[in-house]
Amino acid sequence: MYKSIIIVSVVLALVCFMGGQVTAEVSPEIQLGARGVMSFNTDIKKDQTTNAVSDFSDTDLMLGFRQKMYNKFRGQLVIGFQFPDADSDLGQVFFHQTFIKLDNKSNIIKMGRSRVRTILFDFPLLRDDDALLLTTVLNPFSNGENSEDHQYGNVLEYTHIFGQRYRLQLHAEHFRETPETPGTAETDFGLNAVGFVLEYQVPITQRWNRPFIQSLSIGSNNFLTDRPGFSSEYDQALKNLLFGFVINIKPDPVHFWDIRSQTIYNTGFDEIQNIENYSDLARAKAIGNYSSIRYLYRKMERPTLQVALSGGYKKFPNTLRPTELFQIATSLFYRFGANFDIGIQLQYKDFSGDLKDLYGSNETRIQFSFIYSIDQSWNNQFDERESLLNLEHGYIP
Amino acid sequence: MDRRNFIKTGVALSAASLLPTPFLSPHIMAATPERFPKPMSPTMDGDVKEFHLYVDIYQQEIVPGFRIHTLAFNDQIPGPEIRVTHGDKVRVIFKNKTELNHTIHWHGLHVPWRMDGVPYVTQMPVMPGKEFVYEFTAEPYGTHFYHCHWGTLLHMQAGMYGSFIIEKPDDPVKKRFEYEREYTLIYSAHDVNFIRNELNVMLDRMKERMYLMKHGRFDKERFATFDTKEEFVKAVDNGYLPPYVTNRRSPSELPQPNWFTVNGKSYPMTPNLLIKEGETIRVRLINAGTEEHYLHMHGHDFWQVCDDGIPVPQPWQMNTVRLSPGKTIDIIIEGNNRGIWTFHDHDTRRVTNNGLYPGGNLLALVYEDTPSQEMKLNPMAQKMGLKSLPVVALDE
Repeated sequence: MYKSIIIVSVVLALVCFMGGQVTAEVSPEIQLGARGVMSFNTDIKKDQTTNAVSDFSDTDLMLGFRQKMYNKFRGQLVIGFQFPDADSDLGQVFFHQTFIKLDNKSNIIKMGRSRVRTILFDFPLLRDDDALLLTTVLNPFSNGENSEDHQYGNVLEYTHIFGQRYRLQLHAEHFRETPETPGTAETDFGLNAVGFVLEYQVPITQRWNRPFIQSLSIGSNNFLTDRPGFSSEYDQALKNLLFGFVINIKPDPVHFWDIRSQTIYNTGFDEIQNIENYSDLARAKAIGNYSSIRYLYRKMERPTLQVALSGGYKKFPNTLRPTELFQIATSLFYRFGANFDIGIQLQYKDFSGDLKDLYGSNETRIQFSFIYSIDQSWNNQFDERESLLNLEHGYIP
Repeated sequence: MDRRNFIKTGVALSAASLLPTPFLSPHIMAATPERFPKPMSPTMDGDVKEFHLYVDIYQQEIVPGFRIHTLAFNDQIPGPEIRVTHGDKVRVIFKNKTELNHTIHWHGLHVPWRMDGVPYVTQMPVMPGKEFVYEFTAEPYGTHFYHCHWGTLLHMQAGMYGSFIIEKPDDPVKKRFEYEREYTLIYSAHDVNFIRNELNVMLDRMKERMYLMKHGRFDKERFATFDTKEEFVKAVDNGYLPPYVTNRRSPSELPQPNWFTVNGKSYPMTPNLLIKEGETIRVRLINAGTEEHYLHMHGHDFWQVCDDGIPVPQPWQMNTVRLSPGKTIDIIIEGNNRGIWTFHDHDTRRVTNNGLYPGGNLLALVYEDTPSQEMKLNPMAQKMGLKSLPVVALDE
C-alpha cells in the first residue's frame, strides 16, 4: 500500500514538474480561424421599431495549435474569444473556446471551455443563436440574459468513432449558473450535466459521393438540478432528448439542396405549469421542432448563393394556459468575394400564452449583414481524420 | 547455425561500418537490391515488348515511422525500371486506378508525338478507371525516365516517375569502361505537406467533376480548356479569376521541399552503392525532382560518361556533378580507394529530413571487401556498447 502511494506520489510530482515545460520539437501547426459578422438590424415589436446600426455579436477569433504526440495521438490547444450580445452581461469579450483535445483514429478526448452538445447541427441562419429557443436545449441554470449560457460550457467529452461514420459521444458539462450572487464569483465548477450523442454522419469530404442521408442523430442532455422537493438524482435531473437528420435531397455539385430537422423533447418538471421566467421556460415540459430547407448554388466550384427557409414550432403541453412559440426565418447569402458574404435575413416570431407575457405577441427582425470568415493554418504537418486520403486510402496518424 | 555461417556472421559484424555494409548479414545483403528500381519483365506480343503500368494511391514509408500518401506506378516508388534494347518495339498499357487524371511522358525518348504524354497537346488525359496504350520504338540509347505529365508539379513529387533504360549491344560506355554491376539512382524532392493538401483537394474536386461527367454536364469551361483565346477571355468575364482556375485549390506559396529521396527513400534508408577493390561500376543518375543537386563523391573522382543519355565525346573526370531537374547523367566509378565513402548532395540543405541533419539524399559507396581491421573502434565507442561503426548514425 505504502509502495503504491509512493509510486503515485512520484508520478504526480513528475507530472506537475513536467507540466508546461517546453522542449525543442517540430514547430506546432498553427491555426487561425476568425469570423466577422456585422449586421444592421431592424426590430419591429408591436408598434415599436428599434434599429441597431452595427451589431457585431458572434464575431470571433480562434487560435489553435496542434502537434503529433509520441504515439499515434495528436494534441491540440484552442483558445478563442467572441464578442457577445451587448446586453449579455458577459463583458466586452467572452472566451468561448479554451480547450485541449487529444485524438487518434477512433477516439477524441476534449476538455475545457467549448461549445456544448445542446444542438445536433447548425442551421442556415445568420447567427448561431437566431433561433435559440427552438434549436438549442436550454440551460436551466441560466437566467436567460445571454445566449452563450446555452451554447458554451466547461466540457469533458469522449467520442468514439466506429468505422468512419458512427460516433458515440459521452459528454459531461459544467453549465454556467446565472445570476451570480452580487459581489461573488462562481467558484464551483463541478459537473452539472451529463449526456450522450449517437450519430451516423457522412464526412463532409464525402459529400460528393452523393449520400442521400447526410446525418442521423439522437442525443440526450440531463441537467443535474436542485429540484425542490425531490431527493433522488434521477428525479432532480431535467431530461432533454434530441432527434435530428440532415437529408441531401439533391446532392448536386451545382444546384445543391438539403433539408435538416431537429426535434427537442424536454421531459420537464410536472410542477412547472406557468412560465413566469427563464428558469420556468427551461424547466417546463416542451416539445419543439426546427427545420430548414436550403438551396446552394455553386458556380465555378465555389459557393455563390445560398437561400434557405427555416421554421420551427414549440409547444408547452403542461402549462395551464396554452403556450406556443412559432418562428419562421428566411435567409440569403451571396458570396461577394473570397470568403466574404453579403447576407439578408428576415425573421418572424410569434408567442402565445405565457410566452406572450415574456416576449410580447410577436417580433419581426430584418437584418442586412456582411460576413467575413477565414480559416488558415501554418506548419501543417498531418492530415485531418476525415480527409479523403485518410478515409479512402488508409489512415496515417 | 552451422560453423560456416557463424564465422561469416562474426566477420561481418566486426567489419560493420559508418553506413550499411551489405555484407554485414545475409538479411542486409538480401534487402539491398530492393533499394534499387526493380526492372520489369515484359511479355512478348509477336515482336513487341509489352509492359503493364498502373497508377494508384499508395503509402510510401520514406523512413521508418514516416509514411505519406503518394501516387505510385505499380505500388512502388520509383516505378519499375523499364529496360529494353535500342530499336525494340515497345507497348506500355497504362491503367489509371485513381480518381485523378494522368498521362505518361517518356522523358528523353524520341516517340511519335501522339505518344508523348502531354495532356491537351498530344493526348487527352487518361481519366479515372481508363486505360491508354503507348506504342513506340525504343530510341535513343541511354538513361531516360518516364513520369506523369498531368499536374506535373504534384504528380511527380508524389512519386510518379521511373527509369527507362535503352541498352545496345555495342554500348560505347561498356566498351571503354568494362563493368559488370550498375545502379540506378533517382533523386526527388518532396514538400510532403503540399502533396497531402493538394491531393486531398484534387480528389475532392474530381469527385465533384466525375458526377457532372456522368450526367453529361461537364463542359470545357469547367475543365479549364478552351478552343481559342477569345473563349478564354470570355470565361474570365464569366468568373475566372487570375491565375485562372475554376477554384483556387492550393496555397499561394510554392512548394518548399522538406524531404529529399533517392529511389523513394531518405537517409538512413537510402541505397548504398556496392563496389570491390579494382571493380568498375556504372551509376545512372536521374533527377525526377524540382531541385538541383550537386552530388559529391568522397575519396574518388568519377567519370561522367553520358549526359541526358547521350555518351559524351570525351568522358571527363570530376568529383562533384550538377544534376539539374530533368537531367540524367551516367557516371563510372573506379574502385581504387578502399573504404566507406559518402556520396551526397553538397547543398547540404538536401541532406536533411524535415530540416534535421543528417538525412535526405545521403548515401555511400561501400567497398564490400574492406578488411575488418580497418574499422576498429576507439575505447569510448566500445564502452558505449557499439559493436562496430554504427550502421545508422542520426545525431551528427
